[in-house]
Amino acid sequence: MSLSVPVAVVLLFMLGSALAAAVLRDVVGSIVAFAGYSFGVAVLWALLRAPDVALTEAAVGAGITTVLFLLTIARTSVSRSERFEGISLRSGLAVVAIVVTVGATVPALPPVGASGTPVLAGDVSQYYLTNAYDQTGVTNVVTAVLVGYRGFDTLGEVAVVFAAGVAMLLVLRREAFV
Amino acid sequence: MSDSEPAPDPAVDDGVDGEGTLSRPASDRPPYVESTIIMTTVRVIAPFVLTLGAFVMLHGASSAGGGFQGGVIAATTVVMLGFAFGIEPIAAHLRNEHLALLVLSGVGTFLIVGFGGYLVGGNFLQVSGYETLFKDGSKYSIELVEVGIGVVVSGVITGLFFLLGTGVDAGADDSDSEADR
Repeated sequence: MSLSVPVAVVLLFMLGSALAAAVLRDVVGSIVAFAGYSFGVAVLWALLRAPDVALTEAAVGAGITTVLFLLTIARTSVSRSERFEGISLRSGLAVVAIVVTVGATVPALPPVGASGTPVLAGDVSQYYLTNAYDQTGVTNVVTAVLVGYRGFDTLGEVAVVFAAGVAMLLVLRREAFV
Repeated sequence: MSDSEPAPDPAVDDGVDGEGTLSRPASDRPPYVESTIIMTTVRVIAPFVLTLGAFVMLHGASSAGGGFQGGVIAATTVVMLGFAFGIEPIAAHLRNEHLALLVLSGVGTFLIVGFGGYLVGGNFLQVSGYETLFKDGSKYSIELVEVGIGVVVSGVITGLFFLLGTGVDAGADDSDSEADR
């Protein structure tokens, strides 16, 4: 796999902000680092030519999730500290074990952008790419699949969003949003 | 992982050493700090953000985007206003019925398009059936569904924002009294 310079830079940025989110003792700083990580993921999606996912990650992951985290933290006592979280031997071992286990699966993956993978060469994706415009009249295949072919899934997603709002009302024992 | 940190944090710091640590409970902090820079910036960019949200929502059929992304971006306008002018004053301008109506109309739009598939001789959510009604019916029904999704998402996110951002004391008292019982 050839690693282009922008992708490498974004991966490095993601690694740094992920470490900062885990290790920073300052909770607000940790949230900001987490938002930076999400933003890195969004840029990575954009570089890998998945603009729909990048837009979602930037809006939901880096944007709204951060706001909700900050609002939640604002309700608790905030500890501001310049020090780092101490890493115990046990958590260090757990991290190493997870990294080794997940890392062992990486060689089994096809290279990024390889042409022979089922995602690109499979019958289903080819069917969507060939017929999406004729059958739905929509030029963005992602939207065509989301609403045209897999509309029932998307209805489920909308139900989940709706349920999130209702669940929040129930958890906070309120009867009105505002 | 880092979210579960704040609760034990102050106790640990007090026990070991309080150096470099400033811990402020929510009651000590001002709920809203007025800032001319933030207010001016938000006043300038809010219309553009709302326009971008509407564009992403409506243009999902032809380019990257769609209801989920557009809805979140549109809801960001309210979030920005809340940060700039205070969450409580903004909440005072909104009524719960309007937000609930927004969410329900979005779900309703999706369901109407879905059940309408039967009326035009197809199956549930079979948007290609709308081609028989009018030209490009499939495309326009997909866009209608996207707008419905966007309305649901923006309504729920605005609701979550106000749920978490307002009535801090009422919520805290409630949970405390429940824990005591």
